[in-house]
Amino acid sequence: MSSINLTLKIWRQQNSDALGQLETYTLDAIHTDMSFLEMLDVLNEKLTKEGQDPVAFDHDCREGICGMCGAIIDGVAHGPEKEVTLCQLHMRHFKDGDTIVIEPFRSRAYPVKRDLLIDRSALDRIIQSGGYVSVNTGGTVDGNSIPIPSQQSELAMDAAACIGCGACVASCPNGAAMLFTSAKVSQLALLPQGQVERKQRALAMVEQMDKEGFGNCTNAKECEAVCPKGISIRNIARLNKEYLFAAMTEG
Amino acid sequence: MWFVRLLSSSIGKKLIMATSGLLLVLFLMTHAAGNATIFMSSDVFQGYADELHSHPLIVLIFSISLLVLVLCHVAVGLYLFWENRQVSTSRYIITKRVVKNSFASETMPYTGLVVLLFLSVHIFGFTFSPKHVDISVTVKNLLSNFFYSLFYVIAFIALTIHLSHGFWSMLQTFGINHPRYNTLISRLTLGIPLFFLLIFGGVALYFMTGLGANY
Amino acid sequence: MELNARVPAGPLEKKWDNHRFSNKLVNPANRRKYSAIVVGTGLAGASAAATLSEQGYQVKSFCIQDSPRRAHSIAAQGGINAAKNYQNDGDSVFRLFYDTIKGGDFRSREANVYRLAQVSTEIIDQCVAQGVPFAREYGGTLANRSFGGAQVSRTFYARGQTGQQLLLGAYGALSRQIHAGGVEMFTRREMMDVVVVDGRARGITTRNIMTGEIESHVADVVILATGGYGNVYFLSTNAMASNVTAAWRAHKKGAGFANPSFVQIHPTCIPVHGDYQSKLTLMSESLRNDGRVWVPKKQGDKRLPADIPEDERDYYLENKYPSFGNLVPRDVASRNAKEQCDLGKGVGNTQLAVYLDFAEAINRDGEAAIFKKYGNLFQMYEKITDSNPMKEPMMIYPAVHYTMGGLWVDYDLMTNIPGLFAIGECNFSDHGANRLGASALMQGLADGYFVIATSIAHYLGTNKLEKVSEHEQDFIDSRRVVEDRIAKLLKNSAGGPAGKFTVDEIHKELGKLMWDNCGMARNKEDLEKALKELPAIKQKFWDYVYIPGDTKEINQSLERAGRLADFLEFAEIMIRDALTRGESCGCHLREESQTEDNEAKRDDENYSHVSVWEYAGQQEEPKLHIEPLSFENVTPSQRSYK
Repeated sequence: MSSINLTLKIWRQQNSDALGQLETYTLDAIHTDMSFLEMLDVLNEKLTKEGQDPVAFDHDCREGICGMCGAIIDGVAHGPEKEVTLCQLHMRHFKDGDTIVIEPFRSRAYPVKRDLLIDRSALDRIIQSGGYVSVNTGGTVDGNSIPIPSQQSELAMDAAACIGCGACVASCPNGAAMLFTSAKVSQLALLPQGQVERKQRALAMVEQMDKEGFGNCTNAKECEAVCPKGISIRNIARLNKEYLFAAMTEG
Repeated sequence: MWFVRLLSSSIGKKLIMATSGLLLVLFLMTHAAGNATIFMSSDVFQGYADELHSHPLIVLIFSISLLVLVLCHVAVGLYLFWENRQVSTSRYIITKRVVKNSFASETMPYTGLVVLLFLSVHIFGFTFSPKHVDISVTVKNLLSNFFYSLFYVIAFIALTIHLSHGFWSMLQTFGINHPRYNTLISRLTLGIPLFFLLIFGGVALYFMTGLGANY
Repeated sequence: MELNARVPAGPLEKKWDNHRFSNKLVNPANRRKYSAIVVGTGLAGASAAATLSEQGYQVKSFCIQDSPRRAHSIAAQGGINAAKNYQNDGDSVFRLFYDTIKGGDFRSREANVYRLAQVSTEIIDQCVAQGVPFAREYGGTLANRSFGGAQVSRTFYARGQTGQQLLLGAYGALSRQIHAGGVEMFTRREMMDVVVVDGRARGITTRNIMTGEIESHVADVVILATGGYGNVYFLSTNAMASNVTAAWRAHKKGAGFANPSFVQIHPTCIPVHGDYQSKLTLMSESLRNDGRVWVPKKQGDKRLPADIPEDERDYYLENKYPSFGNLVPRDVASRNAKEQCDLGKGVGNTQLAVYLDFAEAINRDGEAAIFKKYGNLFQMYEKITDSNPMKEPMMIYPAVHYTMGGLWVDYDLMTNIPGLFAIGECNFSDHGANRLGASALMQGLADGYFVIATSIAHYLGTNKLEKVSEHEQDFIDSRRVVEDRIAKLLKNSAGGPAGKFTVDEIHKELGKLMWDNCGMARNKEDLEKALKELPAIKQKFWDYVYIPGDTKEINQSLERAGRLADFLEFAEIMIRDALTRGESCGCHLREESQTEDNEAKRDDENYSHVSVWEYAGQQEEPKLHIEPLSFENVTPSQRSYK
C-alpha cells in the first residue's frame, strides 16, 4: 500500500439555479487502496473540519450495483477504468501529483441539483412508460412451464445487467439515452414473457425517451465504452429493429 | 399517423439517414462501375456515356430520385447536427472521447458538407457541361487541372472517412449487429469506402498526374 | 404492551389457507377509497406497493434514493430459495420450513416460517412471469445451486446479481403502477416519524432531501419496508443510506422492537484494509460451493499461500464439520473464522482474514467452468483488492450483513400499533437468530407480493377508520417534533468546527464500541462496559457534533447526523437485548454459554422466546416483554452441522 498526493478540481454549484464553477482542492496522503468515493469522503471530512461546505454527491451501495454514484472524471464517465462505477474505481489508478477534474454527469435531461448531484428521474419515466411485463401478482404459471434456451436467457441477462447510472447519457456526445432504453427493450424482447407487449413497449419507451429531451443517437459508441456493466450497443441495434418493426405494423 | 410518428422520432430520423445513405451508396456503386470504363479507353467510356444518355427517361428518374435522396440526407443530417449541438455544446470543461478511432464519427457533419460541396462542383462541371463537347473530353479537360483534381481527391478522402463510420452506422441503425457477422461488417466498412477511393480517386489521379495526357 | 401473535388455529399446513379464508376482505370497488403508505422500495416495499395498487388501493410510495430502483436489495448476489424441488433431490415445503427454522436456531415462529416456505414457490413463478432472467439449464428449465445450511439445491439465481434482477422485476411492477396512476411515488424522502391518531398509524412525516421541507402524508395504513440496522456498526455491507430511523421512530411511538441483538455476520466479505474505509463488500456465499476455507496451521505464518504446503494448511471447516464442510451456516462459518484469527492464524496484513481457495475446484472443473460460475465475483474482488482469485486464494473475513431483529409483528405482519405494518428485513419474523443464505430475498418478496395485501384487507375490513387530514393536531405535533429535533442537531454548528466532531467521527466511535463489545462474540462484562460507555458517546454527539450547511437545502451531513442520532439511541436496546439473552443461539454467541468444543449452547428452558423491547421514555430504561415460542411440529434440537 502506498499513498499519493492529489489536486482536485471539483464542480461546485449551490443549487440548480446558481452558476457553478470549478474549485481547486489539494489532498495529501491518499491511500491507493481507497475507492474514489472514499477519497471524496476524506476530502469532505477535511472540508467540514475547515468549516467549508462538503461536496454533495450521490452514492449508496458502494459496491457497483445500485447505480447511484457517478461523475465525469477528467472527461470520462466513471473515470479511466473500464467497466467500473465510480465507487469501484480505486486510487491505485492515479499517480502521485495528478490533477483530477471532477464534473457532474450532464445532459439536458439531467438538471444539476448541487455540486455533483443530479436529477436522473427522466430514466425512471422511460421505464414507467413500458419497461416491464404487465402481469399482476398471483395467478402466474409454473416457472418451468416457460422453457427458455440458456443462451437466450444469458443474452437477456446481459441487457438486464443495466444499473441505470446514466453514464451512457452523460458520455454520449449527443446526450442520447439509447443504450439505457435499448437495454430494457432488448431484455424483454429476447424473453418469451415480453412478447405480448413487445411492440407497444418499444413504441412507448422511445416516445418517452424523445419527450424527455435526450439527444439523437449517432452511433458514436461512447456509451458502450463507459458502461460500468459492459452493456453492448448490440442492444441499440436491436431497439432500432424493434422500433421500426413496431412502428410499421402496430396500430 | 404512424408514418409521421415513425419519421419524427429520434430513431425514425436515423432511419431516414440510413436508408438514404444506403441508396446513395448503391448509386455510387453503379457510378463507380460506369467510371471504371475510363481506365479502358476514351471510346469505351464515351460509348457507355452515350448509351446512358440515350435513355433520357431513366436518367431523369434517377436524377430526381438522387436529388430527393441527397436533400433528405443533407436536410435531416443538418437537423440532427443542430439538435445534437444544442445538447452537447459546452457540457463539460474537459471532454474526452473514450472510443478509439472516433475521428470519423465525430466529423460526420463536416465530411458530409465537404462531399456536398464537391457534389455541387461536380454537377456543375459535368452534368451541366456544354452538350456539344464529348463527356470524355470534358473529363480530361477538367481533371487535368491539378487543383481541380486535388479538390476531387480531397473530397473523395472525405467521402471515405464519412463512409468508414456511415456504412457501419447504417447497418447498426437497421438493427444489423451480430457477433457472427460483425467482423465481416467491419471489413466491409473499411473495404467499400476504400473501393470508392480507389476508383474515383484513381480517375482524378490518372489525369492529375499526367498519366491520362494522351486520353 | 400486548403481544398477541394471532397465529391462526389448525394444523401447520392449513394455517395460511384457513387464515386467508377467515380474514375479512375489501370489495374491489371499495378498495380505491383506501390508501396505503409504503416506506421503502426494496424487494418488500416495491412488491407491496405494486401489489396493493394492482388490487385497487391508492398507494403512496417513498424512497430515500433518487429512484426506487436503487434500494439495497439490489446488492444481494447469491440467490433466492424456493421449495420447488425441481432437482428432485428431496426438497419439499416442509423441508424448507425445517431448514429455515433450524437455521434460525429455533428462535422464530413456526407458523410464519411455514407460510414463508409455502409461498416461496409462487415467488419464483411470479418473478419468471415478470421476465426476470434466471439462470437456465441447456434444456430451458430453471437452474438451481446449493447454499449454506441446506443439503438440497433449491436456490434460484441470475448470475451473481439475483437481488438486482428481482428488485428490477418489482421495480418494473411498481413503475407500471406509477404509470397507471395507482401509486404516487415520492423519491428522495426520508421518513422522520410515524403519525399515530387515536391509537392507529395514520400517516408519516418526511423530510424532502432536496428542499429540506418537512411534509405530512396521510393514509389508512402505513407499511414500513425500511430494511435493517446493520449500519449501527458504521462498517457493514449495507448501503450508506441504510438506517434504523424509520423503525426507531415507530418504536418510539409504541411499536415493540424484537430481538435487536440478532445480527448476522456474513462469513465471506473482503477484509477491512484501512481506517478510511466506508463500507465492507460482500462476496456471495455461493463461493463456498467451490472454495475451500483454510488458514496456516502455524500461528503468524507469513509465507505466501502458494508456499504453504498442503499438510501445513488447516481446512478447519471441513475438518470440524465433515458433513456440511465449507457449506455450514453463516454464523458457524463466521464464528470459526474469528476463532482462527483469535488463535493468531489469521492471514494478510491485518491478520484478520482467512483464505478461500479455488485451486482444487479449478483443477477439477477447469478454469473456464469456475470462471463461468464466479467470474463476475472474481472480477469484483480483483477490482477492490488488486488480486486475482484464479491465481491466488481470496482473503475473506466476516462482516455485519443482515439484521434478523426488527419491529415486532404478528402473523399478519402488523406491529403492536394498529395500522402499522412492517415487512422485509424491517420486521423480525422469519429468520429467528440466524438467516440462511438466499432467504432474505424470499422473505422480502413473500411479505410484499403474497402476505401484506391479505393483512391490509383484513385490517381495513375489520376497522372503521375516521377521515383524518394533515391539519389534525397529531400531524402538526409530529412536524414540530421533527423540526425541533433538526434544530437541536444544528445547534452546535453556528460557532464553526473548532473543537467539534464530524458525524462520521462519532459514528466510527459508536461502530467500534458495538463491534468490539456487541459483535460476533459477546460476554456480560463487555456488554455491560458498552452499556456504560454508550451515554458518553451520545452526549458527545449532542454537545459537539458539527454539521455544516442549513436545513432548507440538500445537506448530506445533516441527513447522516439524523440517522446517527437514532443509531445512538437504538444501540442501547441492542446491547441490553444481548445482555439479557444469556444463551447462545444462531448469530448471538454468548461466551458464557458454549459446549465443551466451543459450539454455541442454546438454552431452551429459559430463552425459547422473542424478546420485545418497549420504549419507556427518554430517561427511562426500556422495558422487556416476552413472546414465548412454542414448537408443535418440530423438536428444537441442538444444531449440528458435523
